[in-house]
Amino acid sequence: MKDTYSFIVNGVERTTSEDKPLLRYLRDDLHLHSVKDGCSEGACGTCTIIVDGRAVKSCVLTTKRAVGKNIITTEGLSEEEKEAFVYAFGSKGSVQCGFCIPGMVMAGKALIDRVPDPTEEEIKEALKGNICRCTGYKKIIEGIQLTAAILRGDARIEEDLEKGDVYGVGKHAFRLDVREKVLGYGEYPDDVEMEGMVYASAVRSKYPRARILDIHAEKAEALPGVLAVLTADDVPNNKVGHLQQDWDVMIAKGSITRCVGDAICLVVAETREILEKAKKLVRIDYEELKPVTSVAEAMAEDAPKVHSNGNLCQSRHVTRGDAKKALENSKYVVTQTYRTPFSEHAFLEPECAVAFPYKDGVKVLSTDQGVYDTRHEISIMLGWDPERIVVENKLVGGGFGGKEDVSAQHIAALAALKVNRPVKVTFSRQESINFHPKRHAMEGTFTLGCDENGIFTGLDCEIYFDTGAYASLCGPVLERACTHSVGPYCYQNTDIRGFGYYTNNPPAGAFRGFGVCQSEFALESNINLLAEKVGISPWEIRYRNAIEPGKVLPNGQIADCSTALKETLLAVKDAYDSNPGRAGIACAMKNAGVGVGLPDKGRAKLIVRDGKVELYSAASDIGQGCATVFVQMIAEATGLGKEKIINKGANSEVAPDSGTTSGSRQTLITGEAVRMAAADLNEELKTAGGDLAKLEGREFFAEFFDPTDKLGADVPNPKSHVAYGFATHVVILDDDGRVKEVYAAHDSGKVVNPISIQGQIEGGVLMGLGYALTEDFPLKDGVPQAKYGTLGLMRSTQIPDIHAIYVEKEELLPFAYGAKGIGEIATIPTAPAALGAYYAMDHVLRTKLPMEDTYYSKKQKAVR
Amino acid sequence: MAQARKKKIAVVQCQGGCRTQAAGGGEAEAGRCEKLAGAEAAGTACRWGCLGGGSCVAACRLDAIYINERGTAGVDPEKCVGCGLCAKACPRGLIRITGIEYNIYPACVSQDPGAETRKVCGTGCIACGICVKNCPMAAISIENGHAVIDEEKCIACGMCAVKCPRGVIRDYNGIFTIREAQVGV
Repeated sequence: MKDTYSFIVNGVERTTSEDKPLLRYLRDDLHLHSVKDGCSEGACGTCTIIVDGRAVKSCVLTTKRAVGKNIITTEGLSEEEKEAFVYAFGSKGSVQCGFCIPGMVMAGKALIDRVPDPTEEEIKEALKGNICRCTGYKKIIEGIQLTAAILRGDARIEEDLEKGDVYGVGKHAFRLDVREKVLGYGEYPDDVEMEGMVYASAVRSKYPRARILDIHAEKAEALPGVLAVLTADDVPNNKVGHLQQDWDVMIAKGSITRCVGDAICLVVAETREILEKAKKLVRIDYEELKPVTSVAEAMAEDAPKVHSNGNLCQSRHVTRGDAKKALENSKYVVTQTYRTPFSEHAFLEPECAVAFPYKDGVKVLSTDQGVYDTRHEISIMLGWDPERIVVENKLVGGGFGGKEDVSAQHIAALAALKVNRPVKVTFSRQESINFHPKRHAMEGTFTLGCDENGIFTGLDCEIYFDTGAYASLCGPVLERACTHSVGPYCYQNTDIRGFGYYTNNPPAGAFRGFGVCQSEFALESNINLLAEKVGISPWEIRYRNAIEPGKVLPNGQIADCSTALKETLLAVKDAYDSNPGRAGIACAMKNAGVGVGLPDKGRAKLIVRDGKVELYSAASDIGQGCATVFVQMIAEATGLGKEKIINKGANSEVAPDSGTTSGSRQTLITGEAVRMAAADLNEELKTAGGDLAKLEGREFFAEFFDPTDKLGADVPNPKSHVAYGFATHVVILDDDGRVKEVYAAHDSGKVVNPISIQGQIEGGVLMGLGYALTEDFPLKDGVPQAKYGTLGLMRSTQIPDIHAIYVEKEELLPFAYGAKGIGEIATIPTAPAALGAYYAMDHVLRTKLPMEDTYYSKKQKAVR
Repeated sequence: MAQARKKKIAVVQCQGGCRTQAAGGGEAEAGRCEKLAGAEAAGTACRWGCLGGGSCVAACRLDAIYINERGTAGVDPEKCVGCGLCAKACPRGLIRITGIEYNIYPACVSQDPGAETRKVCGTGCIACGICVKNCPMAAISIENGHAVIDEEKCIACGMCAVKCPRGVIRDYNGIFTIREAQVGV
């Protein structure tokens, strides 16, 4: 007789004869979808459950080892616990993308059960095994503290908060998605189960650069339960790409791979188990070739061509005034070369898509940053009218730029059409790390000059980006790096050259900051060096040069009335001044909206149905909270409460295209479209005497477009972007060189959701600190060496005290209630501020990220 | 909640796979382990493991350590507060005081070659490196012939304990591996 394993799950005795990870049993057999699969390696904590009172990662524990144990998942919490967690996490803003949240809840519960009044340190320790990439942990720690207080009876649930009758702009608004994310019933694509659903996965290249001599799929095809093995021959048009279609869906026999993430064939099978077995049966004959592994190699005259057009993917030349002359005539000049690494988004939810035949085409349930972008890429691959493809976002478990390109969606669609059944494609964590575009690695030489008073005169810089195997968003990312390398100051002589080269490294593309993290890091470091020469403080030199309303930015754009960089500098002055020798400072600016002459439009449609206002706008909420922001804007315009407004999400079949979640644009660009539509609705509502029922069936559509000038436009003061956000960060070290505190002051215009914006800032700062100090993405001959657990992501026990400050001024832009967006800028000034802090402490100029010879790097080395 | 809040705990880095009970038994007394070790008469095939003399038992003031049925020291996690007296009393330095959050620990410090250890002990580390390969945090290394976990990097996920083919790596919470006391002889 076969062995069976019995244990109790959420109070019910369960028995299985399969010995497998408990994670798979809970998700696949019991359909307990709160237990998230973030890595299946024990590193991320999204699958945390409670076993005999202890928080345990269910991907590690097996059914066999769980025999006799008492298991609790989020679904098994008591009603009292559920309500406490939902309220506490909503009220404290603990939830962003939500993918880590059920695991955090379980880790929190295990602690609270043992220690009803946990200290902050105890909570951090309890969450050590759980990664959150969005929040910076602070708000989750506060959420657990409040939950504990509620369960002890020391705090109580204010039911009105979640109800949200008062939900307008600037209010303490409870996010729309808190309950479903905390309790784990909200659906990410991997939680979707459909009748007859099968599974597909790509066999990917073993080598970054190798000729595919042959593909032997016969054994895999013969395996019972395998439905198909697709190759490049089965793809109508074997190219995709967000902007440049240079990305092969699969590498054809006879062709050469470009990176280890390249797909060679796609296996479709009845079950996950058969799929894994079948993938191992596919044998590929390679002729291994020497890969191109750096920009220098790619530039070499005799370099192998990664793409047939050559290795230069993109270049930009941004110039204004006469930088050469200005620098020659400058009192002080510094020239320095800086290097920054590739970095991995490490969103908690790996790529996943479910596709199925739908009407006269295909429908894809996706996790991405723009359903219309995904639809566009799939339409190119299939050679179809885009309308035949419907893309709908489920919950998106973090993106940070890494989900702008198609990953699983197009191959799921391809497989679904082939086998005529619903197909799910889920990336393994390592597949995700190897496949999706990273932050570009940069090498750049920056020359900045100033006069005797420290007033900047000109900037000359040359930036080299490694864009890896595919262009992805290389063009705009490189362009943003160039246009923002000047910083938020006012000088008029710039000569900026940017080059993006193809290599056989994993592709690089969009990542929160969009090229600006790299270039402003270099610039801000040079500013510190100039301040030293002039003999003024790093704060002073920034204040003297800071842009202010009416002055002209280095790109020629006149700073608008909302510009509040100086206010952010003043907000951190005390913190900076009171930590001499331990504090570093940096400023940043970041565009909100795509700008540069592109048709960057926000669209929204409101329909009054069943006595409620439904919002249709395809704008992906990847965790940052734009879905809630839009509802707040409708509430502000109409006076309606949260319960009267439904955001129907991003679905290309019913919601108008409102652009990509990119360029910190949704709050501003889509937000204004939503506000416009809501204002129209409100006019009618007033006419109807405030009776929404009288508007039943009515539709209100609005499109927002504020034109901008393209790069290099021949006008005296080109307007590159609709708006810029500004920020100043101060990083303070303790005597051991550990980051003790970060003060992050932001000008994001009108703050729509005060709790959400703090979470955005805190999470952005922690990501920036990781970039500065701990995160790396080592490659060996083009092959990523890191696993999720060794990327160097900051954990709860490592976080400093982050003070999120937002400055709101009276003068605001006339769009979206004056909101400007916060998404990216929170990550930008942290790394140069950290660099400045170390420079202040030991006067060693570190020019490479992650920084060497710090408290953090020493520890790493000692361990090795 | 003193128990729940405690910070440290003792772990014994030997499971007595070489049948130390030959020498064990009898009354635990202070200094008995030293005598056993000195006399070369311990009857244990492994020169790294627990002598079973109970020096630690005698040293413990909370009755938290005992000689188990395999003749090796066992810790009662409910009673132990991690004071460290047992660790000081152990002549072979087998008892380690660790943080309560590091519940995963390798229970062997043998420096013998793997083949040697395999001959004499059923639960000794043979330095096969499976734990090193499976650790998501790159927190494990083989040092002096046995697995060592770097607690700076460890997140106590338990992967090593689950993958260890010889049951060397233990979980004192008794979840990933059954409690030490329950390990069969």
